[in-house]
Amino acid sequence: MSQYLFQQLVNGLALGSLYALVAIGFSMIYGIVRLINFAQGDLVMIGAFTTLALAGSGAPWPIILAVVLVVGALAGATIETLVFRPIRGAPQVTGFIATLAVSVIIQNATLMLLSGQQRNFLFPAEMRRRVSLGGVSASVTDLVIIGVTVLLIAALFLVVQRTRLGVAMRATAENLMAARLMGVAVNRTILAAFAIGSALAAVAGLLWGGKFGQIDPLMGLVPGLKAFVACVIGGVGSIGGAMLGGYILGMAEVLFVGLLPPAYAGYRDAFVFGLLIVVLLVRPSGLFARHVDERA
Amino acid sequence: MPNLLEVEGLNVFRGATQVLKDLSLAVAQGELTALIGANGAGKSTTLLTLSGLIRPRSGAAAFRAADGARLQLTRLTPERIVRAGVVHCPEGRQIFRSLTVAENLRMGAYIRDDPAAVRAETDAVHALFPVLAERARQPAGSLSGGEQMMLAIGRALLSRPRLLMLDEPSLGLAPKAVDTIFEVIETLIARGVTILLIEQNAAMALEIAHRGYVLEGGRVTLSGTGADLAADDRVRRAYLGAAA
Repeated sequence: MSQYLFQQLVNGLALGSLYALVAIGFSMIYGIVRLINFAQGDLVMIGAFTTLALAGSGAPWPIILAVVLVVGALAGATIETLVFRPIRGAPQVTGFIATLAVSVIIQNATLMLLSGQQRNFLFPAEMRRRVSLGGVSASVTDLVIIGVTVLLIAALFLVVQRTRLGVAMRATAENLMAARLMGVAVNRTILAAFAIGSALAAVAGLLWGGKFGQIDPLMGLVPGLKAFVACVIGGVGSIGGAMLGGYILGMAEVLFVGLLPPAYAGYRDAFVFGLLIVVLLVRPSGLFARHVDERA
Repeated sequence: MPNLLEVEGLNVFRGATQVLKDLSLAVAQGELTALIGANGAGKSTTLLTLSGLIRPRSGAAAFRAADGARLQLTRLTPERIVRAGVVHCPEGRQIFRSLTVAENLRMGAYIRDDPAAVRAETDAVHALFPVLAERARQPAGSLSGGEQMMLAIGRALLSRPRLLMLDEPSLGLAPKAVDTIFEVIETLIARGVTILLIEQNAAMALEIAHRGYVLEGGRVTLSGTGADLAADDRVRRAYLGAAA
């Protein structure tokens, strides 16, 4: 494989990993409470700034990763408890507006606290190297992004497929009333979905900062929107669909930039949202929406 | 037999409409009690209120817990109610279609922390409904209507009911599947499970019921033993298809 194509592939997988991490959170939350949480992107920002604060302390990176997961989970759980639980059962549009409000509040609180200045965000030197293997090379950062994401997604699938909590989450997402009749404390299941989804988004923030090198309080907007697009592409509400949607979007975006003349590179976002429109026209329920046989 | 459940003066509203009006009934331990009535008479609402999904405006529903305590169901959450042993197998089966058959049964045992007993009882459910063992790994949505009903009942049994509430278990099923379901209901009664049954098939329900209540417009208008109700002229005309 030529170095150029290999580089594009790694690049697309790394970008797709970031989108997938955020998109999975969208999907988990939507699956259970039918709420598109537009504050999801801001958890990316919270994760990035948490990382920045910790990196200065010289803590080892696995510890930083663990702390970012916990901070993200706590932030998500707090938002759910303070904002979304009190309005549960309200019309969908109320929830939608509430998520926008949460997003605006988080962004502006961060702006007030930390100013809007861009911060440099660097992984340590050994993670910014390139490694070569068999005539092709890739940046360690991209490989770390892909590796961490694969591990987290594998862990998530284990939880969702095998554990009592995971089965209860899927059951609640499908039929809330029946889940309550089985004795599922729905509020706790919803809290778990928020905590897990937000933790993944926060890790995406850690990795995002490492890949792009700069962070600021409004940085969550783009990953949030693109992850939402990834979700729609994959089929909102399905975790596997969100993951695949994230990778498809990342690859498509990289190939668009990489294969067309450089003059078009500035249109990458236009391309992403154009892709969204095409998917909505062709497969409105997403590429991987599950169609369980509808027998009476 | 003492009463396991005593409902007193239940008034339930949905929006501005009063659906249950001063409804009272009792379910004796170990018996099958049938609720019959036309669509919209308030049968399903009664069960939804007892399982805590609907809050009544007034009234009481006292359930005798395993330790003898009297629980007021109208004040408990659905989780507490199912943990107390009041298990509701809802109208339309409400199985988890995208989950496998085995996962549906696992959800039935969600409240339990005795895996060995759950495994034994899952085997017992498989013995009762062999098709659930054969299809354990398939998505529940791929089952036929009758098989889905068996899954819904099996799932409810794994919650270890002291009172099993069945809402229209025969609705929409082929005659052969209806027979299977009714055989299972009789088996459960023989095993000492207390059942509160809603059925549109009033003839079959009253045939096996120890006691029955007729609901009209959210009120109990008649009650008696299953045999008495089946012989009652008004019941025969309105629900059993006898000539007027």
